[in-house]
Amino acid sequence: MTEHVTIVMVEDDEGHARLIEKNIRRAGVRNDILPFTDGTSAVQFLFGADGTGRDHIGRALLVLLDLNLPDMTGVEILARIKQNEHLKRSPVVVLTTTDDKVEIQRCYDLGANVYVTKPVNYENFANAIRQLGLFFSVIQVPETD
Amino acid sequence: MALVMPGTSGHENPARDIPSREKAPAGDVSRAPAGRLRLPGPTLLLVLGFAVLASISAMSITLVYRAQDDADSVTHTLRVMNAISQLQVMVRRAESAERGFLITGGDGFLRFYEESKARALPSLDEIGALTQDNPAQQARVAEARPLLDSRFASFERAIALRQSGDVEAAQADLKADRSEGAMSRLGTLLIDMKAAETQLLDSRAIASRHSAGWLTAVSAGGFAVVLALGGLALYLNRRTIAALEEAQQELETVNAGLEQRVAARTADLKEANDEIQRFAYIVSHDLRSPLVNIMGFTSEIETMRTELFQRLGRLRETAGEAREADAEMAADFEEALGFIKTSITRMDRLINAILALSREGRKEFMPVDVDVGELIANIAGSMAHQTNEVGAVIRAGQLPVIHSDRLALEQIFTNLLDNALKYLRDGVPGVIEVSAVNTPGFITFVVKDNGRGIDPKDRGRVFELFRRSGRQDRPGEGIGLAHVRALVRRMGGLISLDSTLGEGSTLKVTLPRRLPIDNGHKDT
Repeated sequence: MTEHVTIVMVEDDEGHARLIEKNIRRAGVRNDILPFTDGTSAVQFLFGADGTGRDHIGRALLVLLDLNLPDMTGVEILARIKQNEHLKRSPVVVLTTTDDKVEIQRCYDLGANVYVTKPVNYENFANAIRQLGLFFSVIQVPETD
Repeated sequence: MALVMPGTSGHENPARDIPSREKAPAGDVSRAPAGRLRLPGPTLLLVLGFAVLASISAMSITLVYRAQDDADSVTHTLRVMNAISQLQVMVRRAESAERGFLITGGDGFLRFYEESKARALPSLDEIGALTQDNPAQQARVAEARPLLDSRFASFERAIALRQSGDVEAAQADLKADRSEGAMSRLGTLLIDMKAAETQLLDSRAIASRHSAGWLTAVSAGGFAVVLALGGLALYLNRRTIAALEEAQQELETVNAGLEQRVAARTADLKEANDEIQRFAYIVSHDLRSPLVNIMGFTSEIETMRTELFQRLGRLRETAGEAREADAEMAADFEEALGFIKTSITRMDRLINAILALSREGRKEFMPVDVDVGELIANIAGSMAHQTNEVGAVIRAGQLPVIHSDRLALEQIFTNLLDNALKYLRDGVPGVIEVSAVNTPGFITFVVKDNGRGIDPKDRGRVFELFRRSGRQDRPGEGIGLAHVRALVRRMGGLISLDSTLGEGSTLKVTLPRRLPIDNGHKDT
């Protein structure tokens, strides 16, 4: 993944956010990580004041999305990203505790690129995030147009 | 982390529209018809009817007899009157014959006289006999007898005189008529007697008419009463039938209401159950999140600790001190971190158990025909290693084929057999028997072992999550039976435990022969 890709992390649990960041870094990912702890501020950033997402034209974004947010569900944000003409090609990685079959299907139906369940066991968790980081380092992220 | 449930995210289930069970309060059910039906009593009515009929019959018979008596009395009176008239006529004929003889002296008159006299006297006797019961008439008869005798004596004297040829003397005797007084007295008497009889006749006729009147009245009255009773019976009968119909209708309504209420309650229960499932899911799910942090940062601390002690060691080395000076603190660190990690691991297991249980409660069943005998044989086969190790045997009796969820049945029996194998008595070869009892619509599976048994006070507890009983010398979290009970309940069945401590346990699982397809789970 090229250095100019920005990782947008939407995660309400700051502890999780920190652990995710640490482990991604451990995998050698050096990209910028923009953390958001609630849906509203994340939406504001992603779609801008006018709600069009035009602000990000020419930038490459990768969204790391938790589904359980205090003010909205991540599913809602996912749907909006995939319906937005500028952001629809940005990869969205759903990273959440839910391993419910229906929920997973729904996310992929809406256009999620990857769905990862957070393991409860920390070693597994750290391992999973590190692998995700390794994955990030090899994938291509298109620029927004 | 926000409480968001898969499947239900977005909109909550709207409050279910429960059929109006308030309309038929329970008190209504038994009240109405009983009092209404009891009131007149058809039996009482029937008895009354019979009594009226009997009394009418009795009265009619009495009255008919009385009418007959009346008729007899009238006949009697007429006979008396006839006798009196006969007497009168005979006396007159005797007198006429005497006169004729006195004038002509013909023998024919004399014979006529004798004949009349002969018939007059019996007539008086007859009157006497007929009026035996009437003292007034008896008195008159007694008085009339000498008068009659003297009258005939007077006749015969004149006849004797005429026979002797002394016509003048006989005529003189006739003229003198010494029995004139007696004659008129006799006449009066006979007239009186006749009058008395006439009176008697009148009164008897009246009595007879009365009797007839009564008879008619009683008959008519009886007829009316019978008619009225019949009418009443008919009316009551119709009312009873109407009441019965009403009661039946009410019963039907109540029945329908009952069904509605059962449906409503079932819906309520289902909803409550769903809520508990959701609650368990949310709790376990949301407990996991902070646990990741605790675990994660504990690991981070662990990493930092290693680094910290390495640096500390280097510093001590530089300062010329022993590298192992901080060994005690390092051990304390180790111990603290160890406790935290084991606790977290344990908590993680428990949460996973709750999560698994709640997930189990949300899984759809797929009813198919399952040969339970085969299923048990398979489970026993997969447990062969364990069975051989403890020297136990699993015996299965005749087991039926039921229409149910194979996986659920497998989990139930695996848990039960595993428990039985786990808690055998030391030194006693384990014998585990599986049998089945048929009941309408249901099959009760009995899993009986000769193991340790369960203390009576723990019989409810063993079905609770994380609760175990007896000596804790076997691995486990106390999940198995809770899991089995949750499954059995969801399948519409029951589980019960019968056990004697130190002798063995019997677990009875009652399951429907056909698992209903609708197991009422809306989400996931």
